[in-house]
Amino acid sequence: MSIPKLEFPPFHLPAEAEALRGEVRAFLKETLPRIKSEDRFASWNTPSPEFSKALGAKGWLGITWPKQYGGGERSFLDRFVVTEELLGNSAPAGSHWVADRQSGPLLLKFGTEQQRQAILPRITRGECYFSIGMSEPDSGSDLASVRTRAEPVPGGFRVNGTKVWTSGAHRNHYCITLVRTSGQHGDRHKGLSQLLVDLKTPGVTIRPIINLAGRHDWNEVTFSDAFIPEDCLIGNEGDGWLQVTSELAFERSGPERFMQNFYVLRELVRVLGRQPAKRASAILGRLIARLWTLRQMSTAVAGMMQGGKSPAIEASLVKDLGTIYQQDLPEIARTLAESDATTEDDLADFLDIAQYASMMAPSYTIQGGTTQVLRGIVARGLGLR
Amino acid sequence: MDRETRDMLLETAGRFFAERAGKDVVNGVEKGVWPADLWKEIEEMGLPLIAVPEDLDGVGGTLADLMAMLRVAGEHAVPVPVAETALANLLVAAAGGKPATGPSTLALGELSLQGNRVSGKVARVPFAGVAERFVAIVTAGGKSTLVVVPRDAVAVEDAPSHAGEPYGTVTFDGATPEFSAASAVSAERALELAALARAMQMAGAADKVLVTATEYCKQRVQFGRPISTFQAIQHMLAELASYAAATIASAEAASRDADEGGLETGGSFSIAAAKTQCSDFAHRIAAISHQSMGAMGFTHEHILHHYTRRLWVWRRDFGSESFWGEKIGQSFAKAGKDELWPALTESRYAA
Repeated sequence: MSIPKLEFPPFHLPAEAEALRGEVRAFLKETLPRIKSEDRFASWNTPSPEFSKALGAKGWLGITWPKQYGGGERSFLDRFVVTEELLGNSAPAGSHWVADRQSGPLLLKFGTEQQRQAILPRITRGECYFSIGMSEPDSGSDLASVRTRAEPVPGGFRVNGTKVWTSGAHRNHYCITLVRTSGQHGDRHKGLSQLLVDLKTPGVTIRPIINLAGRHDWNEVTFSDAFIPEDCLIGNEGDGWLQVTSELAFERSGPERFMQNFYVLRELVRVLGRQPAKRASAILGRLIARLWTLRQMSTAVAGMMQGGKSPAIEASLVKDLGTIYQQDLPEIARTLAESDATTEDDLADFLDIAQYASMMAPSYTIQGGTTQVLRGIVARGLGLR
Repeated sequence: MDRETRDMLLETAGRFFAERAGKDVVNGVEKGVWPADLWKEIEEMGLPLIAVPEDLDGVGGTLADLMAMLRVAGEHAVPVPVAETALANLLVAAAGGKPATGPSTLALGELSLQGNRVSGKVARVPFAGVAERFVAIVTAGGKSTLVVVPRDAVAVEDAPSHAGEPYGTVTFDGATPEFSAASAVSAERALELAALARAMQMAGAADKVLVTATEYCKQRVQFGRPISTFQAIQHMLAELASYAAATIASAEAASRDADEGGLETGGSFSIAAAKTQCSDFAHRIAAISHQSMGAMGFTHEHILHHYTRRLWVWRRDFGSESFWGEKIGQSFAKAGKDELWPALTESRYAA
């Protein structure tokens, strides 16, 4: 077997998308200063219902979805632009992020008409937020090994088990939960299903899992004989694995894979002053060139997807490179600032920012498919396994 | 040229390079053997005239066509100045001259003009040892003048590159050009175009390195199985693929931007970013590919070094990652943090 040629055909975002960018920028410039945020450097995972509602009012949530569900029927590339503007301007997009990016599209693809009508318009208004219930204490990268069991009972399912790393479950409304509805633990991909779980359901207990930076994003979600009505089954019973894998492949190469800590680069530009030394300029320029390249790769993949292709290997490569860039950035920036910051005040402040970013950095190559899982996918694409 | 014509040309060129610019030819150039037949055939195919207008007996292709051809040349380590000559011919034609036959090269550096005579010294001129003429752009009084100086009007001191190609230092001591004319392309711009050419050659080489290492690991048996079945090797090659991908994507994007923006200024930032990126990852591509192929890939016998040595040389040619990175960093620092994101999304220097 010959090796598939890597191609990243350069792609221009279309004029409509660029026009939308201008609108989004103007909106953010006006709106962001009014939004209170608990984070000094907000990002895609900083929650703000206030901001999400404002964005929904502009029609920029569920932007690609059919109008009958409150969507905008705009292109996937318009969504790309909104996403990168949110990241580029450090908007607190955490409340709606998962619902808009992942859960809504899943319901649109596999959900019942009733589920779509009940949920999607609320997502587009920025009022309805989602968590993802995939990982378990014994099931991380090996997702097919989930043990949470949904036992069919009259009118629905009785669910028992534990989900972990469930981001935002303490403030979100729903959790799309991967459960075993039939068969045995060892059956792997067979017998798994996805349930739309209202997080206020009796028998569902949410406890915080604090991360190393002291933040409460994650939760442990325990199901103890929780009754989930049968109309909350998403898609067909037993199709859970198929649905989950299509969800995971969704936008592996989006801008959130290389712009989560963009604020570090922006603050680095500030702290270096207007006329850095030659060496400092060169290091800054190299960081900017890497980010520019990632953006070119990401738009190229978006263009291929828009053209009806499914560039799975290319998308995985973007995530691999992008998440490692995000890990390198705070370290390179920290050492550069120590040698080249313009004033002592700026330096102390910046080192706090960079240190915080360094602490958060390990998460980038773990969430949404570890580097090692991604490299396995690429290796398969190269015909090595 | 249209997409179909270009694809056909690239396919033909690829097959031709594979057949006629193989291992022995590349090794021969390193020993000082000029492959005259190869060069003659390259000229017969019209490759050095690919971006010269048809009314000047050129092929009439675009800058993007030229760059796409250079990616293929890079994929085959073609050891003759096809990039330098094609670019020189493009610049000569743009200045109203008619390109001559024979290998040319670009002497990009500090040169001055007194009347019609060129003076100055340029180091690391690619293929200086075999070029029949040197094309340079001299800046004087805010104006750019293109000069074509024949080989016998300069002194060349051989200084082969670390890839074994006949680079050298060229001294112009009041040299008389055989052609000179006002050039709409500035000296800085000529350097950008040359950097873009190298980025595309590096994209081709990166691709070839990935394929070479991957094929090798699939065939090499140790501990009773192909080493490609070891997860450690699989992950190395996947990482290698990511660096090759960044190299290809950045070079292709810059080529598109340069072509669309026009010969005189198009894609100025994108080229700087792409050459920075390609040069930055060259070492990682070389390091992983060599590690995956062990001692075998470190021999002169194997072809891997045809590509890894060129990557190491090309990353330095026409501006390294430090050179172009400094330009980018200076511009963004000067403009300040609020200009960072808008400039990035428009692929331009910050202002």
